[in-house]
Amino acid sequence: MLEFKNVTKKFGDIEALGDISFVVDEGEFVFITGPSGAGKTTLLKLLIRELTPTEGSIVFDGKNIEELKNRDIPKLRQSIGSVFQDYKLLPERTVSENVAVALAVKGLPHDEWDARIEQVLKLVGLTERAELFPQQLSGGEQQRAALARALVVNPKVVFADEPTGNLDWETAAAMAELLEKINSEGKTIIVATHDRDVVDKLGKRVVELRGGKLHRDTGAKKEAPKKVKVKSKSKKKNETASKD
Amino acid sequence: MKQHLKTSAVYIRRAPFQAMAAISVLAVTFFVSTLIAVLAYSSDQVIRYFETRPQIIAFMKEDAQDSAIKSLQSRLLADERVKSVNYVTKEDALSIYKDATSDNPLLGELVSPSIFPASLEFSVVNLEFAEGVIDEIKGEDIVDSVTFTASLGGESSLGDVIQRLKTISLYIRVGGLVAVAVLAFTSFLVLMVVIGMRITTRRSEIDSLSLIGATPWFIRAPILFEAIGYSVMGVIFGWLMAAVLVMYTTPSILSYFGEIPVLPSDSLMFFALLAVILAGEMFVGLMIAVVGSSISVSRSLGKKRK
Repeated sequence: MLEFKNVTKKFGDIEALGDISFVVDEGEFVFITGPSGAGKTTLLKLLIRELTPTEGSIVFDGKNIEELKNRDIPKLRQSIGSVFQDYKLLPERTVSENVAVALAVKGLPHDEWDARIEQVLKLVGLTERAELFPQQLSGGEQQRAALARALVVNPKVVFADEPTGNLDWETAAAMAELLEKINSEGKTIIVATHDRDVVDKLGKRVVELRGGKLHRDTGAKKEAPKKVKVKSKSKKKNETASKD
Repeated sequence: MKQHLKTSAVYIRRAPFQAMAAISVLAVTFFVSTLIAVLAYSSDQVIRYFETRPQIIAFMKEDAQDSAIKSLQSRLLADERVKSVNYVTKEDALSIYKDATSDNPLLGELVSPSIFPASLEFSVVNLEFAEGVIDEIKGEDIVDSVTFTASLGGESSLGDVIQRLKTISLYIRVGGLVAVAVLAFTSFLVLMVVIGMRITTRRSEIDSLSLIGATPWFIRAPILFEAIGYSVMGVIFGWLMAAVLVMYTTPSILSYFGEIPVLPSDSLMFFALLAVILAGEMFVGLMIAVVGSSISVSRSLGKKRK
């Protein structure tokens, strides 16, 4: 599903990533670990083509990301649910509006929005916070709102960058459990973190970076996933009808 | 589309002073444009008036026969440079004189038709032809003298009259165009600055949208609609202010210019004129909005990190 092939990224003379290669299969849960400055965020930026590799290639869903035309980049980003370290929530919109923005960006029919938003906010536990603005939420809640926005469009893969970085241990553990739950429903999850407790708690595959180099890859620890997608209202109705 | 319109309405509401600045400058531009357009129309009407009214009067010799005068009238009518030839007999001339002196009937009673010469009053399709036609008609045996009536400001020659009318018309057009162009360019710059400021204040939002997969159109549409909103409001306010002013002063203007129809006296034509001006200004306003916001957006968002 996702393959980094000998990827090097340099900023001038500084090498942020050097000759990184690894593969992530569909339904996998992978931790990208390493200390600050190891190159974890650069990986995400390369994946959504906010940056382009100096050398090597990144293949996502059978396509070389570097070869994509500019007009195809939005589609790539829509198919990757990115959860950013600084959340990147829109401050002047409520939680539900922030989630709705992702649906608008993807161009999904408006009549599907309410059901999708309700479902995804329920999943991340923010149903009661739906009408609050980001600044009225705690760090953990903002992180979950960002995760909800990433999930609502049913992306092929979720890449969360330091999702527990600003959270206390308890909230971080809850976030890790949430990500595991989403993975257990069939979604490919890539988490960039330097939080060893979270990595140890979940016991998933670890790709460790140090100084921009691949230091360790524990390899896939795959479990049979249950395929569950965020459903639209119309699909739900059809299912109900067929059950009847 | 509905979503983008809603978003741009929210942006306009959130920064009312920037919005007012942009709308005010655009309103001033289109206020002046409307007045200049009306002025250009009026100057056109003045020229047309002088072109179509009897500009030349050829006075006949006292012994000129009626048949000879009618023959000359026919020849003038056949001339492509001449239009609307009117034969004024001695009796007609007396009648005109009597009408003109109706407040003093004694003056009318003291004269007889014989002292008034018969005349041919006519105009030319273009004032430039007047000099040639006058020279030709002066050579006719039955013609005593030729008078050119379209005199403005006491010009000594026919060439001066034509030149004067053309100069006035040119000043109005060129002066108006320059004034409108300067104002339009200022509006264009102000709109670009306002949109640029908007993009700067929304930079992080735009970046976030881009990172979650928003297409360039999704990001640019609300900005474009915002600029169009300013332009449309600027055009409407500017046009409305000028239209009210023109409507308010029209009776005085019409009365001042007398028989020269500087503005349409028919209401339907009057509003048709204002509607045409509004349509033209709306087109220009939309062009300013589209081009101004596109340049501003391209300058602000075009720099990509690699």
